[in-house]
Amino acid sequence: MTRTLTLLPALGAAVLLWLLAAHALAGWHWPALPFRPEAMTLDQIRLAFGLMPRGAIALVAGAMLGLSGAILQVVLRNPVADPTTLGIQSGAQLALVLGTVIAPGLMEYGRWPVAVTGAAAASLLVMAIGARRAFAPVTMVIAGMLVGMTASAIATAVTLSQGEYLLSLVIWNGGSLVQQDWSGVRALAFVFAAGALAAGLLLRPLRVLSLGAEGARGLGLNVAAVRLLAVTVALVLAAAVSAEVGLVAFVGLAGPAAARAMGASGSGRLMVLSAVAGALLLSLSDGLVLTLAGLGAESFPTGALTGLIGGPLLIALLPRLRGATPPGEERAEASLRRARRPYRLLGAISAAILLAGVVLLVIGRVPGGWAVLDRHSFATFLPMRLPRLIGATAAGAALGMAGAILQRLTANPLASPEVLGVSGGAALGYALAVFFVAVPGTGTLAVGTMTGGIAALAVVAAFAQRRQMPPERILLAGIAVSALASAVLAAIMSVGDTRSFLVLAWLSGSAAMVTPAGAAGLCAVVAAVWAMALGTRRWLGILPLGDGVAGGLGLRTGGARLALVVVAGVAVGGATILVGPLSFVGLMAPHMARRMGLVLPMDHVTGAALIGGGLMLAADFGARMAGFPYELPLGLFASLIGAPWLIGLMMRRAR
Amino acid sequence: MSLFSLTGLTVDVPGRRLLDGLTLDVPKGQLIALIGHNGSGKSTLLKTLARQIAPSGGAIRFDGRPIGAWAARDHARRLAFMPQTTPPADGMTVAELVALGRYPWHGALGRFGPDDARAVDRALAECGVAALAERLVDTLSGGERQRAWLAMMVAQGAETLLLDEPISALDISHAVEVMSLVRDMCHSQRRSALVVLHDVNMAARYADHVIALRRGQVVMQGPPSDLMQPRMLEQIYGLPMQVMLRPDGTPVAVPA
Repeated sequence: MTRTLTLLPALGAAVLLWLLAAHALAGWHWPALPFRPEAMTLDQIRLAFGLMPRGAIALVAGAMLGLSGAILQVVLRNPVADPTTLGIQSGAQLALVLGTVIAPGLMEYGRWPVAVTGAAAASLLVMAIGARRAFAPVTMVIAGMLVGMTASAIATAVTLSQGEYLLSLVIWNGGSLVQQDWSGVRALAFVFAAGALAAGLLLRPLRVLSLGAEGARGLGLNVAAVRLLAVTVALVLAAAVSAEVGLVAFVGLAGPAAARAMGASGSGRLMVLSAVAGALLLSLSDGLVLTLAGLGAESFPTGALTGLIGGPLLIALLPRLRGATPPGEERAEASLRRARRPYRLLGAISAAILLAGVVLLVIGRVPGGWAVLDRHSFATFLPMRLPRLIGATAAGAALGMAGAILQRLTANPLASPEVLGVSGGAALGYALAVFFVAVPGTGTLAVGTMTGGIAALAVVAAFAQRRQMPPERILLAGIAVSALASAVLAAIMSVGDTRSFLVLAWLSGSAAMVTPAGAAGLCAVVAAVWAMALGTRRWLGILPLGDGVAGGLGLRTGGARLALVVVAGVAVGGATILVGPLSFVGLMAPHMARRMGLVLPMDHVTGAALIGGGLMLAADFGARMAGFPYELPLGLFASLIGAPWLIGLMMRRAR
Repeated sequence: MSLFSLTGLTVDVPGRRLLDGLTLDVPKGQLIALIGHNGSGKSTLLKTLARQIAPSGGAIRFDGRPIGAWAARDHARRLAFMPQTTPPADGMTVAELVALGRYPWHGALGRFGPDDARAVDRALAECGVAALAERLVDTLSGGERQRAWLAMMVAQGAETLLLDEPISALDISHAVEVMSLVRDMCHSQRRSALVVLHDVNMAARYADHVIALRRGQVVMQGPPSDLMQPRMLEQIYGLPMQVMLRPDGTPVAVPA
């Protein structure tokens, strides 16, 4: 256990940073206990009721998130479970955003009930899906990510529609630890104590459960009840933190990961060490934020920084992670039926998309109803509508192909641009282009997003390459890259000038600004990507069988992977310009293609492209019509369509 | 000329030496069983020979050339490798799986020509899976699936087959079926096969030549009759063993 000693420098650094901030505020004239505001100077009050509770809340909230993540990982036997990946935090976030905007009256009773309700709803959905698949880790995470992405998509849409609340919501989303008194600390400490006690009581049942559900049942354990209780404890812990300080992503994932890397193997030790590691991680992050604030950067949300620290830390820790999924737990999909005539199916899908495109061109909504455009208005609208329809379809096709390529490349049914961090990287590239190029043109932005996407995927792929990496770890690396990207984005956004709003608006995607040239360019990207997929179709057939077989067949896997990574990155970068990173067409379309029985590499890629295009076409129509005469963001609408569909599908296919 | 010749082959993973200075010649044209206790390094040796693991030290020559000197596709035309757990081939039919074996011949862009089609048909027939050609691989029984993978290796056209515990997940009748097939593949088609086996009796029954490892070193290599001696078996497995003779005179080993 000497590795636990590595915590000491972290502790020292956290304390030191806090002390520096305290010293900058009030020197060494600390207020005496008990605190009496009337006897203090202003700076002492700010120390006693601002900085001190802030330091305390960082410790408590971090510990709660670490514990929450550890409980989830133990009970679900899932090394990538945490309040973020299971959608719990996003559920709480959505509930709070909705509460703030729609029913501010509710918030008078406190943010907690709202947050817990949202978190419970989200996790109920995720658990319901998981229960049908024996809580298989990969299924759980995909369900959690879907629910979480949908929730944050809705939250973003609501945020966008309410400009006046924007700033406070954005800051809250980033997770700000600023405190005005000790009430937050008291409340969280109470929940933490209760949660820790409950976790302690559940320890022995959880240890039995770690034998697997069947073994535990054989020992007379009520598996369902233990799972329900443990998840509830984890959920309340995470929701309380969300309500009090906002979205602090990643601590629940990084805490247990750090604890495992320090050699914590038993459930009890894992929980304790995770809480300690989580507390230190959040304190360290907040210490850095305080130091930055002392240097003039104001109201920088700490939650954004935990992502910054958490992502790279996790990537570094991953190879040392012990305890992957036990074999035999995971059978991702039932064996698939195959389409008997794939070409006919592909033809039918293309015809349907073409028909829908034509219909969407000629009908429109007018105040009070629907209308078929007459010749004159058709001629007027065509130059506006055609580019955006084509652009949206092409973006969907590009994302669909990228998803299909990535799923084959990694032999992982969950791989997709969104999950592997490609979209996050592309978004980061876009944001950097917006901020660092004076007047960025479309070309600059395209280069920015493509480079960002390729870079993100290259990090994940290089990492997966290093050794035989089971799929869930690749996934974890992708999540880490995504979180890093979104943390940087959040940090950029918290600067709060017009460019931030530009990035925020783009993040959820809009097709309104597509020029004919842009649409044509995107079509060219789609054609190029499809041609490259055709050229590499044999690799796409062999790579899903794994490195052992691929190498045995004389395929140089390194080179093949790199080429495919670049292809996927180009596709995602091109599409992301238009629809933003939020859509998860790249996850949905390849799945739908497979379910339809398009199994051979080129059928799969082509089918994913067509279905992705169709999804985007539908999303564009919905985005224009749902909020008529206002327009909702395209990527957002795409995820609103896609997520329930996929969730429904996962619920139905019980095995 | 020997198939493989190893000089001082060493494989390390952080903190542990898996193969410790192996020097040995592996003969050609035979079914060779690679046996040893769990963790003896037999799978590591096989994967190293298949270029799936890079050695930390020493040299391997395959077919007279240093193993690293072969271009990837040339190597794959001569040597086929089957991993211990064959990956799920979801949605793929047997014929499509077997056709993947032609990759070293046609490459990423080349045409799948009549030669390739003939090779696939021959492979399906040789491994007795022609009737299953249109079935999905994942719906086959364990023995059938193993034969489908063997057919892929046959289609690859390689004269050297490396199989990592091909029968460990099979019941006894399927195990016999697969091992008989592997033996026929060697004897009638002049291929060489290097097979990692758990079961010493299976090794004695089917192999022409046995290589036994213990703690990363070679304990014995020779004909199965050398293996089936109580003292030798005890040395390999660290457990007293008894060798009995069946009525037809073939030996069977059981723990004493």
